[in-house]
Amino acid sequence: MSEMVTKRRSTHPMKIVALLIVVTCLTLFPFVVTNRFYISLVNEMLIYGLLAMSLDVLLGYTGLLSFMHNAYLGLGAYVVGLFLIHVAPSSLWLALLAGVVVTSVIALPVGWVQVRTGGLAFALLTLAFGMMFYTIVWKWYSLTGGDDGLMGVPHPDIQVLGITLGSSGNPTTMYLLSLCIVFICFLLTWRIIHSPFGAVLEAIRENEERASFVGINVRRYKLYGWMYACMLAGVSGGLFILYRGYIGPTTMSAFAGAGVLMMVLVGGMGSLWGPIVGAGIFIFMQDYISTMTEHWELFVGLVVIMLVLFLPRGFIGLGDYLTRFRKE
Amino acid sequence: MTTILSTKSLHKHFGGVLAVNDVNAEFKARQLRSIIGPNGAGKTTFINVITGKLPASSGAVVFQEQDVTNRPAHVLVRLGICRTFQITSIFMGLSVFENVRIAAQTEIGGSLRVFSAREGLKNVNTKTWEILHRLELKDKADVPSNNLAHGDQRLLEVAMALAGDPKILFLDEPTAGMSPAETEHIAQLIKGLTDTIAVVLVEHDMDVVMRISDEITVLDQGRIIAEGSPRTIQDNELVKEAYLGHG
Ligand SMILES: Nc1ncnc2c1ncn2[C@@H]1O[C@H](COP(=O)(O)OP(=O)(O)OP(=O)(O)O)[C@@H](O)[C@H]1O
Ligand SMILES: [Mg+2]
Repeated sequence: MSEMVTKRRSTHPMKIVALLIVVTCLTLFPFVVTNRFYISLVNEMLIYGLLAMSLDVLLGYTGLLSFMHNAYLGLGAYVVGLFLIHVAPSSLWLALLAGVVVTSVIALPVGWVQVRTGGLAFALLTLAFGMMFYTIVWKWYSLTGGDDGLMGVPHPDIQVLGITLGSSGNPTTMYLLSLCIVFICFLLTWRIIHSPFGAVLEAIRENEERASFVGINVRRYKLYGWMYACMLAGVSGGLFILYRGYIGPTTMSAFAGAGVLMMVLVGGMGSLWGPIVGAGIFIFMQDYISTMTEHWELFVGLVVIMLVLFLPRGFIGLGDYLTRFRKE
Repeated sequence: MTTILSTKSLHKHFGGVLAVNDVNAEFKARQLRSIIGPNGAGKTTFINVITGKLPASSGAVVFQEQDVTNRPAHVLVRLGICRTFQITSIFMGLSVFENVRIAAQTEIGGSLRVFSAREGLKNVNTKTWEILHRLELKDKADVPSNNLAHGDQRLLEVAMALAGDPKILFLDEPTAGMSPAETEHIAQLIKGLTDTIAVVLVEHDMDVVMRISDEITVLDQGRIIAEGSPRTIQDNELVKEAYLGHG
């Protein structure tokens, strides 16, 4: 009997092979394509991929809609930036840790309020809190630089076990750091999603009322899911400021928040790699089309409309479509 | 027989509608008590208040000598007060196995394990298979529950409630929409449950009620109008009137 259980869930070996191939290609990428523009582009895809993936822990796995998950990327980025400017300009790991801790400390009371609601009310609260953070960052000129953004963030060296691997100001080194951290977060999230804890989140997504009537403390587990998603967003924020050396309030705007939501929808919610692919597509369109026309949003909108019409389950739906096609 | 759960002067009103009106009921261990009454009598509301779906307007719910009035549903479930719903409530997107497994996991523990595989919870798996076996759902373990036939979905919900190791189980019209064969199967199953636990059954199928109940409580317009064995209820004039009066 127990064999049936293990068989049911075991990961297909092809998936592991595919993951290793993708990671290998991504690792080799900056050595093959040495153009700084492209390295930075893919770096940004990875960072937003992490953010979109963490949003999908809420949206696709717990069934909670957050309109402004970018607010927590922003908070993480500002904290890491301020830490590097004012506290310790060369402590990269400490700065990242501070970013995650402070983001979590801010996310906790917000989450505590939000999980008391569900559905649309929850979504509206995420919007309200997100816009509040946006306004604070925008208006608190003396701390954040307001409209001008946070500038002059130092680029600390990346050190592991006392060995200096290079400066975070170097696009290739920074790219590899992002890749490494995003990969670790991906594996960690994969583990969590498939754990007993992940099963609880799925139950809440499927039917909140039934979840509480099998004995789940729904609010508490929603809060755990929320905290995890915000922590990952904080990590992505830390990487963001290290790679850019700059952040402005527009990164935390509702418009940018809708972009992150689109990444998840384009990639396909309810999977971990879907949103990362979605982020890739979105960032590519944004950066590439914006070099050709300043009306890039129009084209992004069009592409999203096409995807929603023809791939309603997002990019991951394409995979299912192809496997079915092959079988027939 | 010991009383496991009782209500003391329980009231629930919706605006001007008194859905539960001064109900004093006692549920005894290893007893099957049916609650019957015409549509809108307040049967579902009564269960909703006891199981923490709705707050009581006044009165108390006492479970094993402990006041549990208005405790949240998940706390009551952990104490052993479980239920099914009149309108099927299951995790539609999950497999039959996973539906029962998550209920067993909550009961046995392990929900905070974030670094292990969910298949690794041995006791949870054993219990899940045991319940699926008992309810003859084993062959459908891998079926997504939204692909199940209606009768099997109703049965699955009972399985989920049982996975919570109830001491008292409330079933709100479990046979609704079932075929005669399915109804017979679940009626036998429900009767069998009283070997170990208390069962409270809300049911419109009088044939089932009269056959398997130990005791019957009749509700009308939120009040208890009669209580007793199936035989005495059958002969009760007030009960006949209540049913005829409301068509
Ligand atoms: N959430 C609610 N809001 C307002 N009124 C309600 C609510 N739930 C039930 N009622 C009212 O309370 C009364 C009792 O309803 P209830 O559903 O408990 O009856 P019931 O005995 O379960 O009926 P049925 O046999 O049709 O299931 C009805 O008049 C109903 O309209
Ligand atoms: Mg009812």
